Amino acid sequence: MGEKMNLSGILVLVPPKKTQSTIDLLRTLPGLQVHHQDPQTGRVVVVQEAESTGAEIDGLKRIQALPNVRSAAMVYHYFEDEDEILAGTLPELDKAETSKNNRVPPFLVQ
Amino acid sequence: MTTTRRDFLKTSIAAATAATVGIPLSHTVRAQAAKADGDWRWDKGVCRFCGVGCGIMLATKNGRIVATKGDPDAPVNRGLNCIKGYFNGKILYGKDRLTQPLMRTQNGKFDKKGKFTPVTWEQAFDEMERQLRKAHQELGPTGMAIFGSGQYTIQEGYASAKLMKAGFRSNNIDPNARHCMASAVAGFIQTFGIDEPAGNYDDIEHTDTMVLWGANMAEMHPILWSRIADRRLSAEQTRVVNITTFRNMSSDLADLEIIIRPQSDLALQNYIAREIIQREAVNWDFVEKHCVFATGPYDIGAGMRATGEFAFASEQDIQAKELVRTLDKFEAVGQRKRAGDTIKQQNRGAAGRHWTISFEDFKKAVAPYDVDFVAELAKGDADESIDQFKDKIKQLADLYIDANRKVVSFWTMGFNQHQRGTWVNEQTYMNHLLLGKQATPGNSAFSLTGQPSACGTAREVGTFAHRLPADMVVFNPKHRARAEDLWKLPAQTLNPKVGSHITKIMRDLEDGSVKWAWVQVCNPFQCTANANHWIKAAREMDNFIIVSDAYPGISAKVADLILPSAMIFEKWGGYGNAERRTQLWREQVPPPGQARSDLWQVLEFSKRFKLKDVWGEQKIPGLKSKGFQDGVLPDVLAAAQRLGYSPESTLYEVLFASAENKKHKWPDPLAKDHDNHTVKILGEDWFVEKALFEEYAAFGRGHMHDLAPFDVYYRDDVRGLKWPVVNGKETQWRFNEKYDPYVKSGSGFDFYGPALKALPSGDLDGVTTAEKTALAGKAKIFFRPYAAPVEEPDATYDLWLTTGRVLEHWHSGTMTRRVPELHRAVPTALMYIHPADAKARGLKRKDVAWIESRRGKIKAVVETKGRNTMPKGSVFVPWFDEGVFINKVTLDATCPISKQTDFKKCAVKVYKT
Repeated sequence: MGEKMNLSGILVLVPPKKTQSTIDLLRTLPGLQVHHQDPQTGRVVVVQEAESTGAEIDGLKRIQALPNVRSAAMVYHYFEDEDEILAGTLPELDKAETSKNNRVPPFLVQ
Repeated sequence: MTTTRRDFLKTSIAAATAATVGIPLSHTVRAQAAKADGDWRWDKGVCRFCGVGCGIMLATKNGRIVATKGDPDAPVNRGLNCIKGYFNGKILYGKDRLTQPLMRTQNGKFDKKGKFTPVTWEQAFDEMERQLRKAHQELGPTGMAIFGSGQYTIQEGYASAKLMKAGFRSNNIDPNARHCMASAVAGFIQTFGIDEPAGNYDDIEHTDTMVLWGANMAEMHPILWSRIADRRLSAEQTRVVNITTFRNMSSDLADLEIIIRPQSDLALQNYIAREIIQREAVNWDFVEKHCVFATGPYDIGAGMRATGEFAFASEQDIQAKELVRTLDKFEAVGQRKRAGDTIKQQNRGAAGRHWTISFEDFKKAVAPYDVDFVAELAKGDADESIDQFKDKIKQLADLYIDANRKVVSFWTMGFNQHQRGTWVNEQTYMNHLLLGKQATPGNSAFSLTGQPSACGTAREVGTFAHRLPADMVVFNPKHRARAEDLWKLPAQTLNPKVGSHITKIMRDLEDGSVKWAWVQVCNPFQCTANANHWIKAAREMDNFIIVSDAYPGISAKVADLILPSAMIFEKWGGYGNAERRTQLWREQVPPPGQARSDLWQVLEFSKRFKLKDVWGEQKIPGLKSKGFQDGVLPDVLAAAQRLGYSPESTLYEVLFASAENKKHKWPDPLAKDHDNHTVKILGEDWFVEKALFEEYAAFGRGHMHDLAPFDVYYRDDVRGLKWPVVNGKETQWRFNEKYDPYVKSGSGFDFYGPALKALPSGDLDGVTTAEKTALAGKAKIFFRPYAAPVEEPDATYDLWLTTGRVLEHWHSGTMTRRVPELHRAVPTALMYIHPADAKARGLKRKDVAWIESRRGKIKAVVETKGRNTMPKGSVFVPWFDEGVFINKVTLDATCPISKQTDFKKCAVKVYKT
């Protein structure tokens, strides 16, 4: 935690009549705060705090999976001083075997 | 971070999010939103990724981007972002960012077999120059090439194209946009005589029928998809159709999903045309006033090499089909021939040739495409009954034809990456024009784009092997003369012979006809089909390959020299999106280390060549053009001196640092406190990006491609403008008198594009009257028959392979895979396959399988569930993942007219590892 924090402002769209019941469900999700709502148009603004960066996507998927949620779109993203973005996560290049028709140059299989 | 600070930020982010999407807020909350980011500098920008062109707002602090948000004032996205757009700020900060030039060296000198070693920019350019002089000496202007991009800023693309075409007199510059948009371009030019859509994104809110043809918009154009979803959910009569070769995420919202066999879209569109005629639904008032009927030759090949000399043994059978094809029963009927007939492909070199025909001939041509014929050919899911399929395509025809409905057809790579990509684009216009449902709000055949400036740079600037700015072409003497005039070049400086398209540049490297190539803002060694050939050519042939990039993709790894490039918000630039909207941004943060803009790289390198090096007589193999000696570009040095140049003038002085351009001073008040590293490192006091933009804009102003003045795009109240911008006003719908100032008054509609508007006439078999008729103001309704794919599944390679993208990643993943969130969401490319096909091969979900074609094989993890559902007989593998290098497997057949590769269909076998 500490400096490594992602904050996202997310717009959740629901059928207007389901606004309150969805808000009740949203409040049960970890790291989520419901800030604004517009029951006339079924729009709810939540802010998600994710301890690790990967958790941010998972959190969004949890919102999208709730009943009655038409869409959950990210609008605002804050990531000041986040070390993890520099961590790098790329896999090694394909180490597939070479074959007659798959002439992978040596530098690609090293 | 303290709790107070965190809560404060949260409140602020919530308020900003709510304000962005227009939720009513109290004054107190609004004030809170403004306070939290008091020490951040906010500025408008545009998304780096797809062709939708969403507006974003960027916050910077201490030379670093700290936050991004959807731009509430952007008409494209109205405050929303998709998952990629949301991470625009983060793509700059991947761990393996390239920050210094790297060259393969051994014992301190360049060595093609050497290891990458850090060098200075000076050393890098020294070697580039030495290698270019060598290739130029041996092969002339055609021995060099630039791999360009649909992600170039407008100014970068303009500078590269000008350096190549006006400076080096080489037309071997072609963008990766060839792989994504060329068929759309050819369709536009052949049909309307001018490139780019008539309509715009607001068609979504004006229409009630949207048909997706080979466009999985839910994943590839999520923000437009959210607008479509809004329309579907708020206007009850709205219907959405998804026509695709496998079930994808767009099917979730669709009212009608039609799974078709690859390439049968050609037949399906002819079925709709036949129904329009049978049901007497042709809008004759529109068609008679504004259209003509046309067709062209069928024997045009499949855009492969004419020779098997370079093919692997296993490729020879498919290669041979380039010259002679045997018709199957479906092709035979549509082409009025017999199944089994062998047809020499005699029009390979003139595939785009066409002539007018009568309506009676057109009617005769589409007559065979009745519901029984088309259903038998086009049904793509073995588990669907033929009756159900027939019912679906009838519903599709009903939706198009219903006089009370407006219709928008959307398409992207399913049409464009197609061995008959130009034809299938033309066919969409065929149906919209027959119905008169085109160029009005809500009625539109709308070609979507995949890259942020495929339109704004690759197409409008003309960074293709045959193009000049503003839809002009190198083989038209009047166009060359106009470009030579605007560029202040001696007559006959420009080379009239079309250069190599991007796949041909690869083939040229393989056969040794290109020996120096510069890769700019793209990753061609990952994105070109049949990649084993090209990687081998790059590493084993005598050539020199330079890759300018921000991250080390496959292309950087096969290069001889890597140049570190600045990324989008580290430089000034502009993009043009799919609805003709031009958007410009400021430099927000400095590039890291020694990374520098591509524009700086091109301009700095141009200082190393003098007119005497390049404007003497040059050999151009195969050049044949009126006024030119065969195979030769004339010496223009004497004429250059009459224009005031010296043989000792550098290309930089002649092409870029002109007296006119130097009048645009840097610093400029519109920069506010934003920097310009390009100008600073060049050591200039003129505003390079502004000067080049204005110089380029002169091509289009008054020529149907008018851009606004540079400064206008930076106004706080402007979020891009749709060209043509005439008298300060953008154009919403082109060709329609109500909206488009270029339309002749009183005409109602005017398809005023000037290209290919004088045609001979004939019948379905060929030209009968060679004399040309002028067709000013008309659009063409083409008849195009079904043609079978050049490679189809057989006993050995028994599955279709199609490739594409996923929501989380963009193109080859060089940027999105640096964002941990996106990388973790979809870390590797999976092979989607029907569970029964998997089982028959002894494979389960999560197993690793080989995917093998005649051209190569790779391994991928098997997926039988998830976001895509394959019909039996087809597999799908996305191409973003360099560890699952699917383009080793794909086929480099192209549309013979557009030269765009068909990445959507080839034959493979799949088996256990």
